[in-house]
Amino acid sequence: MEIGPIWRALTRNKTGAILIALQIAVTLAIIVNAVAIIQERSRLMARPSGVDEPNIFYLSSIGFGDDFNERVTIQEDLDAIRNTPGVVNAIQSNSVPLRGGGWSMGLQTEPGSESESSGVAVYFIDEHGLDTYGLELVAGENFTAADVNWREPQAVEWPDKVLLTQAMAETLYPDGFMEALGNTVYINGNEPMTVTGIIKQMQAPWNGWNGVERVMLVPQHTLFGSTRYIVRTEPGQRDRLMPEIEDMLAERSRDRIIRGMTTMEETRERSYQGDSGMVGILIFVVSLLTAITALGIVGLASFSVSRRTRQIGTRRALGATKPAILRYFMTENFLISIIGVLVGAALAIGLNMWMVQAFSLTPLGWYLVPVAMVLLLIVGQIAVLGPARRAASVPPAVATRTV
Amino acid sequence: MLSMQNVAKIYRTDTVETHALRAFSMEVAEGEFVAVTGPSGSGKTTFLNIAGLLETFESGVYKLDGSDVSSLSDAKRSNVRNEKIGFIFQSFNLIPDLNVFDNVDVPLRYRGFKSAERKRRIESVLETVGLASRTKHLPSQLSGGQQQRVAIARALAGEPRFLLADEPTGNLDTQMAASVMALLTEINQRGTTIIMVTHDPSLAEQATRNIYIRDGQVSEDSSAETLSAPEAAA
Ligand SMILES: Nc1ncnc2c1ncn2[C@@H]1O[C@H](COP(=O)(O)OP(=O)(O)OP(=O)(O)O)[C@@H](O)[C@H]1O
Ligand SMILES: [Mg+2]
Repeated sequence: MEIGPIWRALTRNKTGAILIALQIAVTLAIIVNAVAIIQERSRLMARPSGVDEPNIFYLSSIGFGDDFNERVTIQEDLDAIRNTPGVVNAIQSNSVPLRGGGWSMGLQTEPGSESESSGVAVYFIDEHGLDTYGLELVAGENFTAADVNWREPQAVEWPDKVLLTQAMAETLYPDGFMEALGNTVYINGNEPMTVTGIIKQMQAPWNGWNGVERVMLVPQHTLFGSTRYIVRTEPGQRDRLMPEIEDMLAERSRDRIIRGMTTMEETRERSYQGDSGMVGILIFVVSLLTAITALGIVGLASFSVSRRTRQIGTRRALGATKPAILRYFMTENFLISIIGVLVGAALAIGLNMWMVQAFSLTPLGWYLVPVAMVLLLIVGQIAVLGPARRAASVPPAVATRTV
Repeated sequence: MLSMQNVAKIYRTDTVETHALRAFSMEVAEGEFVAVTGPSGSGKTTFLNIAGLLETFESGVYKLDGSDVSSLSDAKRSNVRNEKIGFIFQSFNLIPDLNVFDNVDVPLRYRGFKSAERKRRIESVLETVGLASRTKHLPSQLSGGQQQRVAIARALAGEPRFLLADEPTGNLDTQMAASVMALLTEINQRGTTIIMVTHDPSLAEQATRNIYIRDGQVSEDSSAETLSAPEAAA
């Protein structure tokens, strides 16, 4: 191809070309980094909570009145829920993953306030907890009914047994999570608890925490006045059972109110609302920028075709075929775009390095830059196709007819 | 080598039909230097455009080098223009963003010549028109006469059988026009057939044959024994 003369002609007429190349460069830099952010957010959103999300819902029961017996109510409520057809299992707990609110404590492998402790999320469960959440026990054993006791609001003591997630066990025993099994860990500085089992994975209630998978499961029912029931249903039964169980509980005791009926799916949606909003905005920005750049290319190419009508006619008169004229404008756009994407690649990497520093973002995947470069080159070629075809249809007689 | 029989060309716009050529017939032999004159709007440029395969026509037969070119595809017509015909335009039509060398190079690249061959031809043809020392100049850095010489070099570089020139001296002063005319005469003497439209009778005189077009038809031909409508020269 005649790249030489096309390039030389371009350098003598560079203002428009430079502006478009710059536009392509900026677009590339923004697109690459927007996509990197989208990827990061999507990766965060895709992390499993560890529980059987599609089939779990939860609700709160808040007792009032002097003759409200919380302990009896909880036991009877749980029995009633568990005996409802379609329910797999149910427990009382303080929170669920992704909900946002919950307990955290510190655990350490050596007693004493000098030793460093690691933060951990606390879920209170009973022997039905693993089945209700749908957790996988990888080592040790589940709690038994005998392990479970009642926790008063002001209590500071902790039970003897605890289950840890693999991630928490690894945090305490970096040599391998299995070392935690059977070992004693200390809560509140020097109160011992024995690790009797290890859970494969479960998220803390806060998804923004970098220790999000550090979780401990404690065998206790809580008597805090307000309680939360977690219900796991058989697949497809959840939506039917939610109103049914709400009515049933309301019926069973008049001294409390039932509220906050929520599915795990809603909880996930609410939890990542900000992230999915951000992803939406970025996708919009990326599309808009690409469209604007494509329009810029169409504009510049159209302008240069009409400015060069006579030149095109002359080239046709001198023997250029229609495809040769088409190729000329495609090649010209390719040269402009190549410069744009090369400058853009440098800008993209620079912008990312700055964002990594300023917002502690993960560095972008190296492949994003070449992929975006190729995509923008293709967008450029598609955008220039219209004007280039108009150029190819300029009749050769224009050479003698226009003065 | 060029033969038109009863060629008709009609331009249609929304409101009018212009019969630019009507039953236009003409033969040009190899080596001739034909000057075409005629009133404005008589069809001179139309004739040149059809002869140069820049435009198609409604009816009639046009044979170039013995072969019928009336029904060639657009791509074929481009190739014929590129190989057999050289064009010289009134306003030079140089590509303003390309220097002299690259301008002369344009048709050679469409021809597909190798770089060494192109360079040899460009240098030799610029030598012929006396601009060998100006290869790096842009058209805007040359006088009108020099620009038309570059255009002539560009038309000659492919060694065409034919040169078609529409008012090649129309934008030049008398002195420059004379030197361009001298160059064309020299090119014709080396064997290239030339058809030149001009409004200048003194230039037309220097050609080997004069044709007068009126109303889309040849009304006078200095070489013809029989004229369709003998009239006194204008
Ligand atoms: N593209 C076109 N569309 C419509 N009519 C046209 C077109 N080109 C030429 N004509 C008409 O065809 C006729 C012949 O035009 P042509 O350009 O061949 O004349 P000419 O002899 O070259 O005139 P001039 O000496 O002014 O250059 C004129 O009436 C002109 O107006
Ligand atoms: Mg004319």
